Amino acid sequence: MMIWQQLQSLVGSYPLALRGLGTTVAVSLIGLLAGSLVGFAMGMLRAGGNRPVRLVIGAWVDLIRGTPFLVQIFLIFFILPEAGIELEAFTAGVIALSNLAACFICEIVAGGIGAVPKGQVEAALASGLSRWQRMRHVVLPQAMRIILPPLVGQYVLLIKDSSVVSAIGLTDLTRVGWLVVQRVPNGLLVFGIIGLGYFIVCYPLLAIARRIERRMGAAHAEVQL
Amino acid sequence: MPKSSCDDATATHPGRHQTVIEFRGVNKWFGPLHVLREVTLDVQPKEVVVVCGPSGSGKSTLIRCINGLETIKSGDLVVDGQRLGDPATDMPRLRTEIGFVFQQFNLYPHKTALQNVTLAPIHVRRTPRAEAEQAGRELLAKVGLADKVDAYPSQLSGGQQQRVAIARSLCMRPKIMLFDEPTSALDPEMISEVLDVMVAVAEEGMTMMVVTHEMGFARKVAQRVVFMDQGSIVEIGPPEEFFSDPKTDRSRAFLSKILHH
Repeated sequence: MMIWQQLQSLVGSYPLALRGLGTTVAVSLIGLLAGSLVGFAMGMLRAGGNRPVRLVIGAWVDLIRGTPFLVQIFLIFFILPEAGIELEAFTAGVIALSNLAACFICEIVAGGIGAVPKGQVEAALASGLSRWQRMRHVVLPQAMRIILPPLVGQYVLLIKDSSVVSAIGLTDLTRVGWLVVQRVPNGLLVFGIIGLGYFIVCYPLLAIARRIERRMGAAHAEVQL
Repeated sequence: MPKSSCDDATATHPGRHQTVIEFRGVNKWFGPLHVLREVTLDVQPKEVVVVCGPSGSGKSTLIRCINGLETIKSGDLVVDGQRLGDPATDMPRLRTEIGFVFQQFNLYPHKTALQNVTLAPIHVRRTPRAEAEQAGRELLAKVGLADKVDAYPSQLSGGQQQRVAIARSLCMRPKIMLFDEPTSALDPEMISEVLDVMVAVAEEGMTMMVVTHEMGFARKVAQRVVFMDQGSIVEIGPPEEFFSDPKTDRSRAFLSKILHH
C-alpha cells in the first residue's frame, strides 16, 4: 500500500525532523527569553517612564505589531547586510522573533501595570519606597496576576510565529515539512505530523496557562516572579 | 493665575523652625478648578488639627500636598524644615517622616498584615528583618490585631484593615501622621475601633492632621479645627468654640448639616 511506503519513508526522515524540532525549540526559547526580558523592561518604561521614552516605545511597538513578521525577517536578513550588518540566518531569526516578542509582551506588561489601582502606588509612595521598590514589591506582584494568563497565550502564538524563520532558510519544523513533502508527496500526512510537532511544544504552555488561571482565581498569595 | 512668589520666600524663618507644617499663600488648580486658594496655616509639634468642610472643599488635597502626593502651584509649603517643590528636598526621605492613612486603606492585597507593616521599614529604613518584624508585631498588637498578623487584607474587616494601615504608617516612626477621611469608608459599627487607635496615637504626642467629620474625635483630641470651603480656609478655632459658636454662615450651615443627620 502506498501509505505504508510513505510512512516508512517518513520514519527514515526522523533525524531531519528532530533537527527541525530542535531549531524550532531553540529559536523559540531564545526568542521568548530575550523577548520577555526586553519586553518587561519596555513595558515598565512604557507604563511609568518619562514622556519621550513612552512615545518612542509606543511608536516602535505599533510599527512592529502593525507589519508582517515575514517582512521584518526579510528586512533583517536581506536588507541589513546592505548596511554592512551580515547576520547568520539563525541569528537573524532569533533577533526578529525576540523583537516581535518584546513588542507584544511590552503591551501586555504595560496594560497589567496600568490596571493596578492608583491607591497602591500612592501607599507605596507615601511610605518612601523608591520607583524600583514600588515596582518590585507593590506593583509588579499585583500586575503579574493580570499579565500571566495573556503572556502565556502570547508565548504560544510566538512559538507558532517562529515558523516564519523557515523563509530565510533555517531548517525548523516547517522547513522540514517542505523538504520532506518533496520526497513523500502526501501533504496532509507530512504537515499533519509537523502540526503535531508544534502542538507537542505548545501544549505544556497551554496546560500551564490553565493552571495559573485557576490558581489566580483561588488564592490571594503572591505570584512569585 | 498669580505668579509664584517662591523666590523671595525661600529664606527659612529662624524664629519659626518650631512649626512642623507651614502653608504660606498656597494655591492649587485641577484644570480650571481652583482647589486651594491662598491657604495659610501653621501646625506646631504635637498638635492635632482636624480639617473639615463640605465635599470638594479641598481638604483632602490640602493634606495630600504635605507629603507630595499633590504638588502645589504657588505659595510656600514647608514640612519638617524642608520646602516642597525645592529640587534640594529629598521627597522619598521626607515621606518616611510622614505617615499617611487613606480613606480606602490601600493595604497591599498580596501581603499579610505583618508584611504590609514591615515592607517600608525593611526596604526604606533598612531595618533588619527580625527587628522590623518584632516592631511590626508590637504595633499590630497595639492596634488590637495581635491575632491577625498573618492574615491577608481580604480576610480582614474594613475596621481591621484601617488599623493595619495605621500600624503600617506608625512602623516607620514618623514625625507627622496625616489621615484622609480614615473612617468614611467604614461601616458605622467599625468607626469607633479606628478612632480609638487614632486617639491613642494622638495622646502619645504625635503631630496629626486629620480630615474627618467625626466631631467626637475632634472634641476629644484636637487643639484646633480648620473649616474649609471652596478651597479656602474659612475658619480656624478650638473645637469647643467652633462647634458651639461657629463664626461664619458657611460653617454654621455645614455644622447644622453634619450634626442633624
